[in-house]
Amino acid sequence: MRILVCFKVTPDFEMLREADWIAGEGSLAAGPGVQTRYVPRVLNCFDESALELALRLRDAAAGRSSAGPELSAVSIGGKEVEPFLTTLLALDYVRAARVDVGVHVDFAPATVASIVAAYARRVDRSDVILLGCRSGPGDGGTVPFRIAEALGWPCMTEVVELDAPPGGLLRVAGLADDGLLRVTFQPPCVLAVGNAVVSRLRVPTLRDRLARRDVPVDVLPAADLGIEVEREIEREPSRLIGLEAVRRARAGVVVDGRTPHEKAQRLLDDHLKAVIERL
Amino acid sequence: MRAVAVVDGTRGGADAQARALGTFLREGLTGVAVDETVVLYHADDDRERLIELSPTRDVRLVRMAARCHDTAAGILAEMTRAGDLSLVLLAGGAAGAELATRVGCRTGGAVVTDVLDAQVESDRLICSRPVYSNHMTGRFELRARPWCVSVDPGCVSAGGPGNGGPGNGRPAAMEHRVLSEADETARTAASRFRDIELRPLPETGDLAGSRFLVVAGYGAGSREGVARIAAAAARAGADLGVSRPVVMNAWAPMDRLIGVSGTRTAPVLCIVVGASGAAALHWGIEKAGFIVAVNTDERAPILANADVAVVEEGVAVMEELAEMIAPRRL
Repeated sequence: MRILVCFKVTPDFEMLREADWIAGEGSLAAGPGVQTRYVPRVLNCFDESALELALRLRDAAAGRSSAGPELSAVSIGGKEVEPFLTTLLALDYVRAARVDVGVHVDFAPATVASIVAAYARRVDRSDVILLGCRSGPGDGGTVPFRIAEALGWPCMTEVVELDAPPGGLLRVAGLADDGLLRVTFQPPCVLAVGNAVVSRLRVPTLRDRLARRDVPVDVLPAADLGIEVEREIEREPSRLIGLEAVRRARAGVVVDGRTPHEKAQRLLDDHLKAVIERL
Repeated sequence: MRAVAVVDGTRGGADAQARALGTFLREGLTGVAVDETVVLYHADDDRERLIELSPTRDVRLVRMAARCHDTAAGILAEMTRAGDLSLVLLAGGAAGAELATRVGCRTGGAVVTDVLDAQVESDRLICSRPVYSNHMTGRFELRARPWCVSVDPGCVSAGGPGNGGPGNGRPAAMEHRVLSEADETARTAASRFRDIELRPLPETGDLAGSRFLVVAGYGAGSREGVARIAAAAARAGADLGVSRPVVMNAWAPMDRLIGVSGTRTAPVLCIVVGASGAAALHWGIEKAGFIVAVNTDERAPILANADVAVVEEGVAVMEELAEMIAPRRL
């Protein structure tokens, strides 16, 4: 079974001060709306879960001495993605690739889905596509379903557990509105990972890194996948036309006092009595 | 211009869907009238209840297999084409986003999810939705029709969905009229899913409808710290929610998570204990009537984003406060 994990590297938005949330100049569709160039890059949290879940699936198969899945990883982006891909190679991902698009596709979900579907079909020949259920800055959560539609595959979302019983099947648990849904099925499929308890990607050892230091990261221009990115972006049926910072500031009145008891008493007496009446 | 709302009763959560759609139709959508609700249902026992939940008077019923999102998308895409619909409106969350996206893909339409408000302007739909982990609000122009839109799943008015007042998301009592009924149960596409088992999640109460919420953050320090905050919250008569780092450390179950990837709330009173106030968490409490923040870090963003702030060790303050509030709530 070939599992392709798709991930996105994003700025760590929590590192920006509130005052830094200012919409940029120029075309929003063509460039970043907010200046995040100097913010550290992190794995999208749902994609990070997907990357670790795939490794655990492989580990579980090895523990049963059965043929484990072959893991590969792909991301869309520039050189900033490569350290993450190198880490994945050290963790024994067989292939790690980035698709170079040369423009921003943050708010172009249909374009992103086309690229991933084309990579899975033409290059990786994947049986399973595993990715986070959404990612910033767009946060729309439509990409997994768009990939499934493009490939004609079923899709399960809000996945939190993954297991591969014998027989080439996958057993998946996902959070539904009314409970935890467990299903078993035969790939191909798209699996969108949600709030999984498995949330941190393991760290490779120095030995792991040295052992695979010569394995190159694949770099593919989107054109090699038959996709003209700028034309795809132009054809997006919806586009971002404005950005506005969410201002959350409230009064922020600080309660005085010397001890927790004193502060709690003043909080109650000066601020909460009327509110509690309304409960 | 024809527009419909969709309540998917085959997957649970129909009450919350109807509430969110009802609020959105009244408060979030301008320039287009939504006259009909398409109700997807599976069990005959649900039929009448789902009709009553519908946010519009006119209802079209479709009976189909349970949890077949692919089939549901096919049915809705056909209805969209046949009815020349301009707008298909679904309640948010993952299932709503899936249906909106699949219908949009199959009809060549435009998709936007988790929409806060929408208006028709010069033959295009302009929608707002959270972006950048809720640090920004983006405005989107939907060019291609049909516009397939899922609304913000927390689309409820301040004070909570259960407060009984106007704008609480519940449709006013109305005489519903069933325009059509279709039975599509035979149309179960050969599903690859097998051995389907649904395990109910532990009962944690209706966090989305909480009127008094205490949110424990990473500053609780440990599983024991969260347990002490939970005990204090219970003593004060409050529900307990937690931030993402608390869940990621397995100090509390996932179904207590408040924020973008958890529950969105609109309590009368929210006390945030030991959370820095990341935007993703704040999304889950920003509709609270009154926010109190307790944090040892006087630079934590939550302090400026609260009505009242206490710079102090959170567990201790919460325990003291619970002892003072409890007698008032008897």
